[in-house]
Amino acid sequence: MPQTYKVVSFVNQFFAGVGGEERANHSVQVKPGALGSARGLQQHLGSAATIVATVYGGDNFMNEEKEEASAAVAAALKAYKPDVVIAGPAFNAGRYGLACAEVCRIAREMGIPAVTAMFPENPGALTYRKETLVVPSTESPTGMPAAQRALARLALKLARKEELGSAEAEGYLPRGARKIGLREVPAAERAVSMLLKKMAGTPFATELPIEMPEVVVPAKPTGAMSKVKLALVTSGGLVPKGNPDRLPGGPANVWFSYPIGGLTSMTPDRWESIHVGFYTNIVNQNPNYVIPLNLVRELEDRGVIGGVYDRYLTTSGRGTPVGVAKRIGAEMAAELKANNVDACLLVAT
Amino acid sequence: MAKEIEKAGIPVALISALYSLALTTGSSRVVRGTRIEHVCGNPRLSPEKDRELGMRIIGTAFKALQTEVTGPTLFDPEVEMLGVLA
Repeated sequence: MPQTYKVVSFVNQFFAGVGGEERANHSVQVKPGALGSARGLQQHLGSAATIVATVYGGDNFMNEEKEEASAAVAAALKAYKPDVVIAGPAFNAGRYGLACAEVCRIAREMGIPAVTAMFPENPGALTYRKETLVVPSTESPTGMPAAQRALARLALKLARKEELGSAEAEGYLPRGARKIGLREVPAAERAVSMLLKKMAGTPFATELPIEMPEVVVPAKPTGAMSKVKLALVTSGGLVPKGNPDRLPGGPANVWFSYPIGGLTSMTPDRWESIHVGFYTNIVNQNPNYVIPLNLVRELEDRGVIGGVYDRYLTTSGRGTPVGVAKRIGAEMAAELKANNVDACLLVAT
Repeated sequence: MAKEIEKAGIPVALISALYSLALTTGSSRVVRGTRIEHVCGNPRLSPEKDRELGMRIIGTAFKALQTEVTGPTLFDPEVEMLGVLA
């Protein structure tokens, strides 16, 4: 009789059905069986595998209390001894994707195969990219069934200790690992064929995609801070109350700057955060937590810094594609340069 | 964003609670923030301690801005600032 494999599923607080952003600090909990979205996963696994437990943790907790979170996840895996671990799908939720990558790492270190799914631009796909098995998913949870189907298929392969084919064949993100194999056509012919296609402008498939984050030469340090004109920038979506320019909560492909000349503090009556990727309650009560104007003004008064640019720059960084963030950064840089800004604090949420 | 501003020659101190992500994506000067929900301080502390913490973070950011770096570098307020800015 074919063996029924044991699976432990990891999801975040939202997909566990516990709550949204306001529960992002939820500590790691373990419940037997399939909880929340893991129930859909169980359907795709069918009778070949059983989700014996669902481990879930809040997006903030998993990233900010890493040691505690990792210990809790490891304890759960030790208790349930699964044949395979499935994390996510995280889609484009950055903190969730990072958490999934960590969960997979913990499983791997315990000798348990693991697989996760997320949108390829999810920062979680960048960490441990050589080791983590990641199924590409859609950006939004509309792709849940397809992602879970793919996760189930790969998870069963892992559980059965079957060898995985190439990333292309099996449908996971390439990890940059090279396996010795025989191709039908010699490399020289493949290279020339690719070059001819490239020159003709017809599509071709690269054998070695290069996708590293851009390496930038760091800017030279400033001299004494007492001569520095400092600018304040945030991706935390801080805007004038009422969001007059309708900055999207995320992803945003625009940014704005707002006057802060004469202000000594960012106060809740005038400012709010419209960022949809974190629980903004605390920032809305004290916007200085993302634009630390109160502290910077004090330092300006004491002569510690030369001056503060009289506008702050803002966008919402939630789910912003890298290309868009680059353009926004370049446009911000132009405003800063035009206003003789020497250095910049960029507060990210 | 930080990298683009750096490209224009303006040093950026990126203050983030998710500092390892900031380092992985290649930001040059990364300052460890407190938490996503309150990056430059902690509302659970008394106002004086909250301000002290915020000053420690800003002070660390200033140190980062004045430091020559060759690649992604972490500046942790708990390590860097021992009573420098009060």
